[in-house]
Amino acid sequence: MNIRSVGLGEIVVSRNPEDILVAFGLGSCLGIGLYDPTTHVAGLLHAVLPENPNGSTDPSAKFVNTGVISILEEMKKNGANLQKITIRMAGGANMLTSPALSKTFDIGTRNIAAAHKIFDQLHYRLTAEDVGGNIGRTVRLYIVDGKMTVRVIGSQEKEI
Amino acid sequence: MSDPGNLFNEQLISFLSILANEGATNAARGFGSMVGYELGVTKPNVRMVHLSEIPNLMGGPEKEAVGIYLRIEGDLTGQIMLVIPYEKAFELVKLLLGDDIPLSSELGRLERSALAEVGNLTASFFLNAVATKTGLSVRPSPPAVIVDMVGAILDIVIATTGGITEHVILLGSTFQYQEREVDCEFWVIPDPSALDRFTSGSN
Repeated sequence: MNIRSVGLGEIVVSRNPEDILVAFGLGSCLGIGLYDPTTHVAGLLHAVLPENPNGSTDPSAKFVNTGVISILEEMKKNGANLQKITIRMAGGANMLTSPALSKTFDIGTRNIAAAHKIFDQLHYRLTAEDVGGNIGRTVRLYIVDGKMTVRVIGSQEKEI
Repeated sequence: MSDPGNLFNEQLISFLSILANEGATNAARGFGSMVGYELGVTKPNVRMVHLSEIPNLMGGPEKEAVGIYLRIEGDLTGQIMLVIPYEKAFELVKLLLGDDIPLSSELGRLERSALAEVGNLTASFFLNAVATKTGLSVRPSPPAVIVDMVGAILDIVIATTGGITEHVILLGSTFQYQEREVDCEFWVIPDPSALDRFTSGSN
């Protein structure tokens, strides 16, 4: 097996069954995993912030809205059938629970909302979500069978 | 807009090194009077690093760590995050509270509150040095203690800078008492709007 780490603001798309796409330690960031079971093409996006602030069409994967568009294009380029894809999402936590600090920084919730908005606009439906709360998550997407898992501190991977 | 990386120039780094040194010495003295014995602190090394490098410096993004987070408020605004590897956090608590106090095997209320105080003191001493050198009024917010993966702790800083600041000022320091040592990473992230005042204050 071949671990391919998906860093902050990155997209990795692969059709190699040996690959496992991993976004480590997501806090307020979102890991959005796409998988086409017919062609076994998979992609993982590690988005940091909800929306590109300039409203520009810069295809940066740092932002949820532009990142989603980019990963769909990458999937298509690699031969995925976008009609068949499953979309799963994890992350979007609010890491600061202190009442004095948390209110202003709710990027996690805004990331989740931005993802719902862009998928609605593009008429895609999310297959599964493990989002929110105040805990960090590591997300793995196994290309061989399309399994996507979430792991939190002190526990085993669980499939979503 | 100019590249935010350019805002952290050599002059700023050397100015911050002086502040960090004074701040760390003050912090050690402060801890010393709190715990009743003299605590040593090594001369901090000051570096500017890209946000994406941080997880690897801390042993990987999935590694469990303790983050103590504070906002900088006043004339200068920004963020401070003190990061300690999980197992080292216990040692630091022991260093501060002594071996006599029985500690739980997890970071409970007592341990978290001691760590919050570490963040509070460290930040206060650092900011006092900033205030003395620049004449600006700065103070820390109450601290928040986060126990989680390094990546998730880093997200707090990244999310609140709104993707504008790509660099962080990293102050590494080691607290010592007899043969014991605890390494701490101390991240200072001035808000982009604050950097000009920072540098103009250093002139």
